[in-house]
Amino acid sequence: MCGIIGYVGDEAAGPIVYRGLENLEYRGYDSAGIALVDGAADAGEERAGEKRAGAEGLTVTKRSGEVANLDVPDSEATCGIGHTRWSTHGPPTDANAHPHTDCEGSVAVVHNGIVENHETLKAELSDHAFTSGTDTEVIPHLIEEELAAGADLRTAVERIDDRLEGSYAICAVHEAAERIVVARQDSPLVVGHGDGASFVGSDVTAFLDHTRDVTYLEDGDVAVLEPGRVDVFHDGEAVDRPVETVEWEADAAEKAGYEHYMRKEIHEQPTALRQAISGRLDADRGAVDLDVEFPEPFLNSLDEVQIVACGTSYYAGRYAAELIEEFADVRTTVEIASEYEFGGGRDPHRTLTIAVTQSGETADTLGAIRRAAAAGARTLAVTNTLGSTITREVDDAVFIRAGPEIGVAATKTFASQVTTLAMLAVALGRGRDAMSAARARTAVENLRGLPGAVQQALDAEDAVKAAAREYGDSEAFFFVGRELGVPVALEGALKLKEISYDHAEGFAAGELKHGPLALVTPETPVLAVLTDGAKPRETMNNVTEAQTRGAPALGAVSAGEKADALDEAFAVPEAGIVEPLVANVYFQLFAYHVANEKGRSIDKPRNLAKSVTVE
Amino acid sequence: MTSEPVTAVVLAAGEGRRLAPLTNRRPKPMLPVANRPILEYVVEAVADAGIDRVVLVVGYRGERIRNHFGDGREWDLEIEYVEQSHQLGTGHAVLQAQAAVGDRFVVLNGDRIVDGSIVREVRDATVDGRTPVMAVTDVEHPREYGVVSLEGGRVVGVEEKPEAPVAAGRINAGVYGFSAAIFDAVRDTSPAGELGITDTLDRLAHESPIEAVEYHGDWYDVSHLWDLLAVNASLVGAAGADGAAGAVAAGAVAADGRTGDEPTHAAVADDVVVGADVRLGPGAVVGGSTALGRNVHVGANAVVENAVVLPDAVIEPGAVVRDAIVAGNARIGANVTVAGGTATVIVDGEAHEDVRLGGVVGDNATVGGGATLDAGTVIGDDATVDPGVALDGRIETGAVVRRG
Repeated sequence: MCGIIGYVGDEAAGPIVYRGLENLEYRGYDSAGIALVDGAADAGEERAGEKRAGAEGLTVTKRSGEVANLDVPDSEATCGIGHTRWSTHGPPTDANAHPHTDCEGSVAVVHNGIVENHETLKAELSDHAFTSGTDTEVIPHLIEEELAAGADLRTAVERIDDRLEGSYAICAVHEAAERIVVARQDSPLVVGHGDGASFVGSDVTAFLDHTRDVTYLEDGDVAVLEPGRVDVFHDGEAVDRPVETVEWEADAAEKAGYEHYMRKEIHEQPTALRQAISGRLDADRGAVDLDVEFPEPFLNSLDEVQIVACGTSYYAGRYAAELIEEFADVRTTVEIASEYEFGGGRDPHRTLTIAVTQSGETADTLGAIRRAAAAGARTLAVTNTLGSTITREVDDAVFIRAGPEIGVAATKTFASQVTTLAMLAVALGRGRDAMSAARARTAVENLRGLPGAVQQALDAEDAVKAAAREYGDSEAFFFVGRELGVPVALEGALKLKEISYDHAEGFAAGELKHGPLALVTPETPVLAVLTDGAKPRETMNNVTEAQTRGAPALGAVSAGEKADALDEAFAVPEAGIVEPLVANVYFQLFAYHVANEKGRSIDKPRNLAKSVTVE
Repeated sequence: MTSEPVTAVVLAAGEGRRLAPLTNRRPKPMLPVANRPILEYVVEAVADAGIDRVVLVVGYRGERIRNHFGDGREWDLEIEYVEQSHQLGTGHAVLQAQAAVGDRFVVLNGDRIVDGSIVREVRDATVDGRTPVMAVTDVEHPREYGVVSLEGGRVVGVEEKPEAPVAAGRINAGVYGFSAAIFDAVRDTSPAGELGITDTLDRLAHESPIEAVEYHGDWYDVSHLWDLLAVNASLVGAAGADGAAGAVAAGAVAADGRTGDEPTHAAVADDVVVGADVRLGPGAVVGGSTALGRNVHVGANAVVENAVVLPDAVIEPGAVVRDAIVAGNARIGANVTVAGGTATVIVDGEAHEDVRLGGVVGDNATVGGGATLDAGTVIGDDATVDPGVALDGRIETGAVVRRG
C-alpha cells in the first residue's frame, strides 16, 4: 500500500531516494520519510549503543503529508532508504511515518504490508521503548534484539522472518555499514542492478530513472544490497534469481503536459485499446488468439467460471461475466476478492478462476486466487503488469497491455480489462463450441471497432464538460443501466465519488423503483446507459420515472436513436457489445470535469491509493 | 557552441478551418501524411538539426498532440507544452512561449514540412549573428503564402497572400530565428485582425532589413484537402524513416496474405504505407500513393488508390476509393464508388478549379452501400448517407442523407 525505495552506491543517496519517493507518491501518500547511512561518519559497531537517530551514522527524516513536505538533509551519505505511507495502523502523523528505528537509533526500517501479530510481539518486547502507533515499529526492535544476540544484519532479518506473521516487504539499514538488507513475504519487492549501485523498490517506477535491469524477489527471499552487488538468500542458502529487463518507458508514466494523469489516461484509451486487440483478433474467422491454451477436455467439462477482483476491476469482471455466460454457455460468478471463498457444491476440477487486477499486486485478489488454487481450481490472471506477483502464482496470465496507469482512479485499464475479458469470452465460447462463427465474427468486429468508437466519444469532450459545469453542483448523482449497462453504471458512480467526493450511486435501472427512487429529487441527476447491450428501451422507462420526480436526465445513447426526452445526450457510435464501454468514456469525462471544476486532487484523491497491497 | 542550447518553438495551436471536416476532430498539424502527423515531420526536422528541446504551442484540440508526442522521449527530445487557449494568431502564439525559452531560439510552423538542414542553418545564423532570421523558399503559387521582398539577400518586406500578381516566387518558409527582443516587438505590433508573426516581421523589415536564409529543399504545406493527397503521395514514395515506401507494419496482413492455406491474393503497390493491424480482404487492391492507418479494414475486392485512410476506418467489399480521404472510424459501404478525378471545389466561398479530389469522408461518417460520390464531394463528420445515394458538393457535419 505504500512505496519503498532504497539506494546504495557511490552517489549521494538523499536526492536519489527523494526522487524515487516522488515517483512512488502515487502509491500512497499521507506521510514520507528517509533514512541515510553515512559510513564515513565513523560509526563503529561497538559504539552503537551511544547513538541516537540524527547522530552522524544514521539520519532519519520523516513527517506527515506529501513527499514535498520532506526536508532532505544535505548529506553525502551514499546509502539510504525511503518510504511513502498510506495509513493502515496508526493515523498519518510524523511519529507514525517510516522509517522506524530501534531504541538506540542504530537500525532503521521501512515496511510495506501488515504485521498481523504485532500486538503479541510488542508484549514480548516490553522492555523496548515504542514511539509510534504502527505495527511496523516491532521490526527494528526485533532486529535490535537479534543484533544484541550477536547476529549480523542479514541473519537478524532472516531470524525475525520466522516471528513475523502477515504480509510484508522490509528494508533495513544499520548505522555501521552502507548496506541494505531486504526481505519479502506477500508484498512486492524488486531489486535494481545499476552501475556500481544497487536499488530496491516496491515497484520498478521507484528507480526506473537509473536502471532497467531488475530482479523480482520471491516470497521468503532475503537479499543483501551493496554497491553494485546483490546477494539473494532463501532459507539461509544463496540462490540465483534471474535478472530481467523492464521494457516500458518510465516517461510513459509522465504527464506530457496534461494537467492530470487521469485526463491523459482517458485520452490514451484508443491507443491502449488498439494495443489490447493488436494481433489477437481474426475478423474473418471470428477467432481470438490470447496465447492461452486451455485443454479441450477441461473446456468442455467446465462447470463454472469464477471471477475475483476488487473495485473497478470487479466491475470489469461483472461486464465480462455477462459475456462469458452468453458466449461460452457456462455459469459465471463474480465475487469481490476479499469475500471470496471456494464455496460448497462446486467441483474445483471443473472450475476456472480468473483474477482481474491492474497492478497484479492487489492483496485481496492475491488472497482469493490462492484460495482458489488451494481448492484445486485452474487459475488465470488478467493484469496490466508483467512480472507482478499474481503472474507468478497463476496457471496462465493474459496481459491487457494498457501501459502504465498513474491516476489513482482507473480509467484506461477498465476499458482494456473489459476488452481483454471480452476476447477471452469469445475464445471460451469458440473453444467450447457454444458460440457460432457468425456470432463470434460480430463480436470480433465490435471489438475491432472499439478504439475508433472511443475516439468519437473523446472528440465530444467539450459537450461533456459543459454538462459537468451545469450539473456538477447537484446533491447526488445516480447512474443506471441494465445488462451490460449495470457494471458501467456502477463504475461511473465509483469514478465520480472517487475523484469529486460527491455522493454517487450506481443501480440496475429496474431497481430504481424498488427503493432508490425515494432519493430522487430535482437536485439528483440521473445518468443512464442507453446503448445496445444495455436494454435501452426498458432503461429509458426507468429514467422517465426519475424525470417525473424532476430529476435531470443525462444519457449515453446509441447513434441514430432518439434522445429528445433527455436533458443531455451523448452519442455512442455503433459498436454492439462494447457500446456500454463507450458510454463509460462519457462517464469518465463527466467525473473528471465535475471534479476539476471543484478543484479536487484528481490524481491523488484523499484516502485512496493506487494499488492496494494490504488486505 | 559557447552559448546556451537553442530551443525550438513549434506553433501547433491552429485549427485549419479550410481543412474541415478533418480538422473538426484534430488540429491541422495532426493530419497524417504517410501515416504520421505533419507535426511529427517538423519535430523530426528539429531533432535532425541537433536541437534537443522543443516547446510545442498547442491550443485547438491540443490533447491530440500531447497524446501523440508525450514528453518526446521517443524522438530523443525534451518536449514541453504551452497553451494558447485562444487562437489569436502566430505572433500571439510566440508570446505564449516567452517563459519557456532562453535568449536565442528558433520558431517553426507546425504545419509546414521542412527538413533538418534549414532548421540547422537558421539555428546557426541565430546563434552567431543578428536576429531576427527568416528562412525563405520558392514555391509555385506564392500568392497563397507570405511573399517576401529581398534586397541584397535580406528581407525588406513580407506581404501575406497579396492580391496583386507577384513577380518573384520567394516566400516565407515558416522557420525563424529570434532573440528575446522579439517579444516586445510583437507586443508593439497592433494588427488589424489576428496578431500574425509576419505582421511584426514586416514592420521590423521596414525599419531594418532582416537576415534571410535561402532554402531549396523539400517544403510541403497542406492548405487544402487535396494538398493532403498530393503531399501524402510525395512522401509515401520517399524512402526513409518508418514510413518507408511499401512499409507494412507488424500485425498487418498484406499482399502476401496470411499464413496457412488461405492466401488472400491482395495486391499492394510499392508506394503504399500500411499501419499496424490493417486487414486486407481477398482480391483487395491497394494502388499507389496510398496510406492505410492503424486498424483499417479493406474488404474483399475493394480498390483503394491515391488515398489517405485514417485509423479504424472500414472500406467494405467491392468499394472503389480513388483520390480520396477517408477519416477515422468512417465506414464506406460495399460497392460505394468514389471514382476519383478532378473537380471544382468551393472552400469558404472561393472556387478552386481542377483540383484532384475524388472525395472526402469525415470522421465517424457512414456511407451506405452502393452510394456514389462525384469528384469533389466532401462528407462531414458524423454524417450518415443512405445506401445507393448519388452525392456531390458538401454534406454538413452530422447530416443524414436519405434516399430519393
